[in-house]
Order: sequence, then C-alpha cells, then structure tokens
Amino acid sequence: MKRKTFIPYLLVSPYVVHFIVFVAFPVIFSIFLTFHDWNIIAPMRYVGLSNYIRLFNDTIFIKSLLNTLIFLAIHIPLQIISALVIAEILNQNIKLRGFFRATFFMPVIVSGVVVTILWQQLYGFETGLLNRVFIQLGFGKVGWLTDPSIAMPSIALMATWKNVGLYIVLFLVGLQTVPAHYYEAADLEGANHFQKFIKITLPLINPTIFMVVILSTIGGFSLFIEPYVMTGGGPLNSTISAMLYIYKQGFFYYHMGYAATLGFFFALLILTVIMIQKRYVEKDR
Amino acid sequence: MNINSCLKKIILNKKKIFTLLLIILSTNLSCNFEKKDIPREILYWSSNNNEEISFARFITNEWNKRNLELKVHFQPVPEGQSSEEIILAAVVGKTTPDVYSNMWQGDVETYAQAGVLVALDTLNGFIQFLNERCDSWTVKEVTSKDGHIYQIPWKINPIMMIYNKKILKELGLTSPPQTYSEFLEAAKRFKKDNNNDGYTDQWIGYTEVHTTWWQRLFDFYPLYLAASNGASLIQNDKAVFNNVHALQVFEFLRELYKKEYFPKERISARQDPFLSSTIATRFTGPWEISHAEKFKPTDFEYSFQTMPVPNEHSGPIFTYGDPKNIIVFKSSVDPNKILKFLKYFLSEENDLKLIEMTNQLPRRKNIDKNPVFANYFTKNPLMLRFAHQANYVKGTDVSVILKEVFDIISQEYEACVIYGVKTPKEALKDAERAVNLLFIK
Repeated sequence: MKRKTFIPYLLVSPYVVHFIVFVAFPVIFSIFLTFHDWNIIAPMRYVGLSNYIRLFNDTIFIKSLLNTLIFLAIHIPLQIISALVIAEILNQNIKLRGFFRATFFMPVIVSGVVVTILWQQLYGFETGLLNRVFIQLGFGKVGWLTDPSIAMPSIALMATWKNVGLYIVLFLVGLQTVPAHYYEAADLEGANHFQKFIKITLPLINPTIFMVVILSTIGGFSLFIEPYVMTGGGPLNSTISAMLYIYKQGFFYYHMGYAATLGFFFALLILTVIMIQKRYVEKDR
Repeated sequence: MNINSCLKKIILNKKKIFTLLLIILSTNLSCNFEKKDIPREILYWSSNNNEEISFARFITNEWNKRNLELKVHFQPVPEGQSSEEIILAAVVGKTTPDVYSNMWQGDVETYAQAGVLVALDTLNGFIQFLNERCDSWTVKEVTSKDGHIYQIPWKINPIMMIYNKKILKELGLTSPPQTYSEFLEAAKRFKKDNNNDGYTDQWIGYTEVHTTWWQRLFDFYPLYLAASNGASLIQNDKAVFNNVHALQVFEFLRELYKKEYFPKERISARQDPFLSSTIATRFTGPWEISHAEKFKPTDFEYSFQTMPVPNEHSGPIFTYGDPKNIIVFKSSVDPNKILKFLKYFLSEENDLKLIEMTNQLPRRKNIDKNPVFANYFTKNPLMLRFAHQANYVKGTDVSVILKEVFDIISQEYEACVIYGVKTPKEALKDAERAVNLLFIK
C-alpha cells in the first residue's frame, strides 16, 4: 500500500524539483533580497524597507517606466493595425501568397541582436540608408537614435517590424475561422469590403485581438535587447526601459537587493495591467 | 518490463543503492583529503589578449625553469563578456586563482572590502619592494581605505592626444593645440562641409557619446586630471569634483559639441575616422600606435601631445593612466611564496619584456630615465612620449561606488555637454548631489 502511494510522488517529483529550484526558490529569494543590500561578494546587509523607499524616489526608474509605457503606446496599436492589414491582404487569393507569408514571418526567426544591429546601421545618422534616402528625397537628416524625441519611436518601429510576422499568423488563423456565409449574406445586402471588415471580421476576431494585445503588452514590458544594443538607454535616458534599468542595477552595479525590488515591483505592475486588460475584454464580451 | 515494475525493482533495491551511494561519497571525500596534502602550484590568471598571453607564458616558463620547488601554472582569464565579470563569478564560485594580473584599479576596493584579497603590506618585504618600484604618490593612490595595500601597480596606458601632423600643418599651426583656446581655434579652422549638403563632414576630434560609465575615463576624466593637476573626484566619501576645474572641462567640451567641432553621432562604427582624416585628433592610449602603424595610409604622419588644458593652466599636465594591477586572492596557499614570484614578475628585466612584447608601460618610477629601457625608447620614440607622461598619471580614487560615480557624471555629461539641456554649473551640482546621496545610503 505504501509503495503504491510513493510511486505517484516519484513520478511528479521531476516537475516539483524543477518548480522548487527554478520558480519557487528564485521568487522567494528575490522577495527576501528586496529587504537586503547585497553586491554578491560581500555578506548581505538587512536594510528594511529602504529599497522600496528608494524606488519611489528614483527618477530614472520612473522615467524608465514612462519610456516603457510610451513604447507600448506606439508599439501595440502599430503592431495590431499593421498585422491585421497585412493578414487581411494575405488572406485574399493573391499571387505568391505563400512567399509573402514566409517573408513577413522571416524577421521573427532571426535573432533579436542581429535585427537590432541591422537596424542600427539603417538608422545611422551619417551613413544610414534611411537618411541617405531622406537626403535624396530632399529632406534633412534625422537623428533616429540620437534625437531624444525620436529614439523611442524608432525602436518601437523596429520592434514592430521584428514581431509583426508572428501576429500576422495569429490574425490569419482568426480570419480563417470567420464563417464564409456571413460574408455571402453581407454581399447579398450590398455591403462593401470595408463594411464587411468592420461589421463582421472585427467582432468575430475579437478573441484574437485580445490575445495579440496581451502578448504585445507582455512583450513590450520586457523591452530590453533593442535599447541595450542600440542606444544603451540614451540619449538622455529617453530609451531606457524598465527591464534595462533593472539589468543595469543588478549586473552593472551589483545592487542585487535594489534590482530585486525593482523587478518585484515591475512584475506586480505587469500583473495589474494584464488583469485590467482581461477584465475590460471580459466585460466587453 | 513496464515502468511500474522497474520502479518497484528500484525501491526494493534501495538498500543496495544507498550502500553504493555511501561508497561513492566516502571515496570522494577520501580523495579530497588526499588532495589537500599535495603541495599545489600557484595558479596565475593573465589577461586574455594575445600579447599578454605570450608575455605571461614567457614569464611562467622562465620562472618554472629556475624554481622547481614552486611551480606556477598560468592560464588566461576564462572567456566572458568582460574579465571583471569572470573575476566576480570566480569569487562567488570560490574558484579564484592565486594571482590575477589585469585588475582595474577602480575595482580593487570592492574586493578588498569583501575580504577576498590578501593585504600585501602584511607580507615580509612588500613595502620596501613597493617603494623601490613606485613613487609615494602611486603608493598613496593604491592604499585602501583601511590603510592596507591590496594591489601592486603593474602597468599603465596613459591617455594622450594623438594628432594628424599634416592636417595641423595645413591649418597653419606650428605646434599641436595645447590650451582650450588653441584647440577651439584649430577646431574652427578644420570644421568643414565637404559636399555642401549642410552637414559637417570633418571635425577636430571625437569622443564616444555613449553614456556607459567607462567612456568618461577617456574624455572627461583625463581632461579633469589635466586641468586640476591630478585632483580627486571623491574624497572621504564625499564628492569633491564640483570645482572650477570640472566646470572648465564641461564648458570646453560643451563648446566643442555646440559648435559642431565634435560630432554628436557615432562615427566609430565606420572606417577609422582618425586614419581617414575625418577627425584630426583623438584622446587615446599607446595601443593606438600599433593600430596606426598597421592601417595608416602612406604619408600619414602622427604624434602624441598632452591633453588640452585651460588657458591659464600652470604646472605639469596630468592624465588618466588606465592602470591595471596585480592582486593576490585569499584562497592562495602561501602568499609569502607568491610574493617571491611577484618580485620576479615585476623585476626590471621582466618589465622590459612587458613593454617589448605588449607595448604597455610598466608602472615604475622614472621609467623614461631608466637606462634599462633606454634602448627600447630609442627604437620606439612615440612610446617615449608616453613614458614622459607616465610621470604624471593618476589612476582612480579609492571607493566601492566608483562605477556609480562615473555613471552619474556620465549622465550629467550627456545632458550638459552633448545635448546642452543643462548648464555646466547645474550639471555638476546635480552630479555632486547624486553622488553624495549614494554615500549617505
């Protein structure tokens, strides 16, 4: 009897061990760290709530949160609109449809660092392709990554280009689940393409849109590689994201306690935003 | 046999498994005890650039030939994003070597306060050895806050101004610009829009606009040391850089960016801007010589000059030395024996080998007048300029928050110098306040 009860525990033990080592322990340890000052090599020092007090007075962290929100405000609508429009086109019976679908998906499978370096070259002030085109067209050069008011939109544009393929696929799946007879009925009523899109397509792919919003939000909150490689958070901290700032605190300055506090606070913030989004969409349904 | 029966078999045999584990564990423990009795070699980690690897190999081979009773095993610091990261990981993982020879001076205090380094001044004969090698200024500079010395000054790469001789001659200058006014005047003459597109195409100089803290070690900091005769940034856990010298440096650099004498955009990613004459000067170290010799166009002439200084400056012109020092970790078996190896390592003959093999200056007093090195400097006259400068170099202040200090200065530098959104006075005041807040925490 005893042996029989032991076996199920043995079978689930790999997952339990994995969960304890890689999830439970790090979470509990990071919460513990938030009350300490620790630079990895020296012993930990208990500091009470001072990391939390510091967090609310840290102007760069507040700026990094605002930057992340600016990024999300540009990136999410841009992502949804461009993915939806392209998916709608690719859902039609056009020539070379397979080729275009594969082409749009290509950036998704390319390494983020590679894409970032590529766009860094495109955005170059002196030698970048974009500015060369602008000069040819008679415009002035743009400080894509060096003008504090343009740098974050430039990063958002690049991130959209990198990820749009994934969302095109999701929207294509959503579009193909819309029953064809709805469109046939609308055709009989004399609806044009735009009316069909607004009245039929959009309401019926609402769950896909919600999923894309959630995924884009989570992806946007974890913005790191792009500013890390392209701008280092500059100019004037205009592209420093919350994740980049947490990384800097943890692995540049080895303020592990403070970095854990920032991470903990940021995780709560993401959770709150996702919960609000979820409640809003559920109410809408 | 199915999975269930397999598991049952394992459970039934658990006594056997337990016995087996016990045997493995006891064997391992006994092996470990045995290992402790064997006298081990000194483990020495060097930097992982090719020249230094060759130098370290040469040193250890020579030592091992002469000292059979105390062998040294050399290996380059393991690969990683930076050697600092690897050293930190080694300290945390308790896998430190006995000796590490490429420690940035600014990092030593952190490790010293963490208690992982040997206080070298407690070893027999160390102080006398250090005083013979270095001047009192250097000894003071490497003395930790607790009064002990945890590092031996080994090598430096002083930051100076490289200049294009031909360009300066064409600008009508008989000597390279030394004061801020001279530099600004040369900059005004050299700035040019070659293709008439409304954008400047050639500038007097260039420094990285990135705010990464260590970039300021190659522009603001050497200029500050030059202007102030080697003053500190921090002293007794307090910011002391909000002074007339830092103000002058910020104003000077701000002027260079404001008038587009320095480009705000990154131009370092393309063809070398100095060798392609896009810029006429650059703040750099002796490593530039081998690079320039390898890639310079024909008829390209260059030389080095001390850092620009304020017009009214008097006295010697200091600069940042980018010092890399030697440390001994507490995990080492016998630091006194290691000191014997280090005395050999830092002997005059091996310092000569260092400069010959790596083109990096040993940090020893009066190296420009030392006859041991005279032949090398005759063959390498540009290195002699760095040797003269070596008499007036400074490393870093002693602090565990030095990187944060440079990061704060860098943030304010960007706001004031590059983008001009703060005045130099405001920027320095804000930097001072932020640094002092760090010390309060």
